[in-house]
Amino acid sequence: MSQRWVELRRREMASLLQPERVLYLVHGEKKIRSPLSQLYFCRYCSELRSLECVSHEVDSHYCPSCLENMPSAEAKLKKNRCANCFDCPCCMHTLSTRATNIPAPLPDDPTKTAMKKAYYLACGFCRWTSRDVGMADKSVASGGWQEPENPHTQRINKLIEYYQQLAQREKLERDRKKLARRRPFMPLAFSQHTIHVVEKYGLGTRLQRTRPGAPITSLAGLSLKEGEDQKEINIEPAQALDEVEPLPEDCYTRPINLPEGTTLRQRLLQPDFQPAGASQLHPKHKHLLIKRSLRCRKCEHNLSKPEFNPTSIKFKIQLVAVSYIPEVRIMSIPNLRFQKESQVLLTLTNPVENITHVTLVACEEGDPEDINSTAKVMVPIKELVLAGKDAAAEYDELAEPQDFQDDPDVVAFRKSNKIGFFIKVVPQREGLGDVTVSFKIRHDFRNLAAPIRPSEEGDASTEAIWLTHHVELNLGPLAP
Amino acid sequence: QAQKTNPSAKIAAGAVVCVESEIRGDVTIGPRTVVHPKARIIAEAGPIIIGEGNLIEEQALIINSYPENIMPDTEGVEPKSMTIGINNVFEVGCVSQALQIGDNNVIESKADLGRNVVLTSGCIVGACCQVNTCEVIPENTVIYGSNSMRRLQTERPQPQTLQLDFLMKILPNYHHMKKAVKVTSTPVRNQAVTH
Repeated sequence: MSQRWVELRRREMASLLQPERVLYLVHGEKKIRSPLSQLYFCRYCSELRSLECVSHEVDSHYCPSCLENMPSAEAKLKKNRCANCFDCPCCMHTLSTRATNIPAPLPDDPTKTAMKKAYYLACGFCRWTSRDVGMADKSVASGGWQEPENPHTQRINKLIEYYQQLAQREKLERDRKKLARRRPFMPLAFSQHTIHVVEKYGLGTRLQRTRPGAPITSLAGLSLKEGEDQKEINIEPAQALDEVEPLPEDCYTRPINLPEGTTLRQRLLQPDFQPAGASQLHPKHKHLLIKRSLRCRKCEHNLSKPEFNPTSIKFKIQLVAVSYIPEVRIMSIPNLRFQKESQVLLTLTNPVENITHVTLVACEEGDPEDINSTAKVMVPIKELVLAGKDAAAEYDELAEPQDFQDDPDVVAFRKSNKIGFFIKVVPQREGLGDVTVSFKIRHDFRNLAAPIRPSEEGDASTEAIWLTHHVELNLGPLAP
Repeated sequence: QAQKTNPSAKIAAGAVVCVESEIRGDVTIGPRTVVHPKARIIAEAGPIIIGEGNLIEEQALIINSYPENIMPDTEGVEPKSMTIGINNVFEVGCVSQALQIGDNNVIESKADLGRNVVLTSGCIVGACCQVNTCEVIPENTVIYGSNSMRRLQTERPQPQTLQLDFLMKILPNYHHMKKAVKVTSTPVRNQAVTH
């Protein structure tokens, strides 16, 4: 009996640490509510940023199974596929190369047979092997496997060339028209102007880089030299056929053999062939993954830049919110009852090394950011002081514990850079649905990124600014 | 160390059955079969006959239990016997209640076989796959994936002869074995095999 109670308590405590219980509001183009662990902090703008208000850029390409880095140009040439690794066409797992010994006649003496190693591809998950599709075993461990050629490659390449040329021609015409009309139309939308000017000279704003549907701009920057013969590429138009292949006669009567056919997913992963039978499924090279870097849209500073090495998970630049903003976490929730006041225990953790002062302010009536709360909350009025994060504190025996003189009604406990404090919650809505409260947290932030101005005396570089964040907590359902 | 006597377990000579495994009821184990410690073979509702060359790993559960809607004390219920062929592999943590299992099958970790499934030969039931339909699985079928997809493979899984030989040599060095019991003789009290 007590073991079950311990298990239930443990599960309840673990669910309080779920990240979605505490949400911070991000002011961006869209108002996004997200846990602090998924947010970034631009210390130049001193604002929280979410994944939707930063621009994502491709940093490097790498293969997820052989962890080989690939330069972007090579990746583009190989259509973002790894040269060595294959995917199982059946279950999309990574294929491994296995060896068997087969007796093979020696090249010098056909009568004697020696054991030669033959390699084939096999999947450890669904037990698919390359022998299932009739691919012969290769004598080399890697590099012997070829993807089958697309029968339509030539036609597709020709079409691409023709349309690239067409796009280039259209672009030049458009540029010419714009140049002619430029003077009387000065108040044209600024974005259109920059796009036009920028494209011609080959620079690129972030927004212009890859827009789907835009004509291929890789060739458009080149201008036609005088006297150069422009190759006229003609394509034959596609011909519509009147007759379609008839269905086989036993189409309706033949019993379906499920393992023989391919699933839609298997079929669509091979867009060149889209085979209907499982015996036509050939392995494809593995898709590369990317490492991306994030950039603040307002100040164009990098927020997150991973290391170049695919085996390393560290970051060169890592401006994540949890290392700058104090984090609120729910520690324990009593039974919540409709219109009865209960005390909820929360913790605040200070991520920086200097002392932080935090003030909590309840949301006012009619606050436009306060849309989700279903309960009234009374936060501590006094300012909470958080000690700095000191990594060496546990080893330093002689350190005197700092005396903060906490009010025991407000502060439940204090442990290095963390304090536990109480808030009073009065649920206002009865019935099903979670009790949510929100309040504002105001803390001081010392911007170490700002450049030290040599002209000003004193601590201009460590001037504190006050930041305010809107926090929402999900306290779970009312007690039954 | 006192061993639990199980007079109705018939262990052929050449089988390697660890003492920590739980064998209850009328169970016959063929030669060259290896039963790891903590494997459980329970013959509740009828006898279990296991062929030779099988590999039953830790925490595997082979159970001939009563069907769900029949109480153990109901009269007139015929005891059905469970037959397991040769060269099968029951990986760690799998549960098998299938009454008929052929040869060269592999039942991967944490797979679950229901009572009404009939495995023929060369089948592979993937990890965590539950098969509780009432059907005969065709030969050389592979059941894999979270949706228990199926496909046919062209080759049978190879019998684990190397593994079996290795285990038959190594296991007695670290575990006590259940002594082989001849089918015809009177039950002998199991003794510890010491080295």
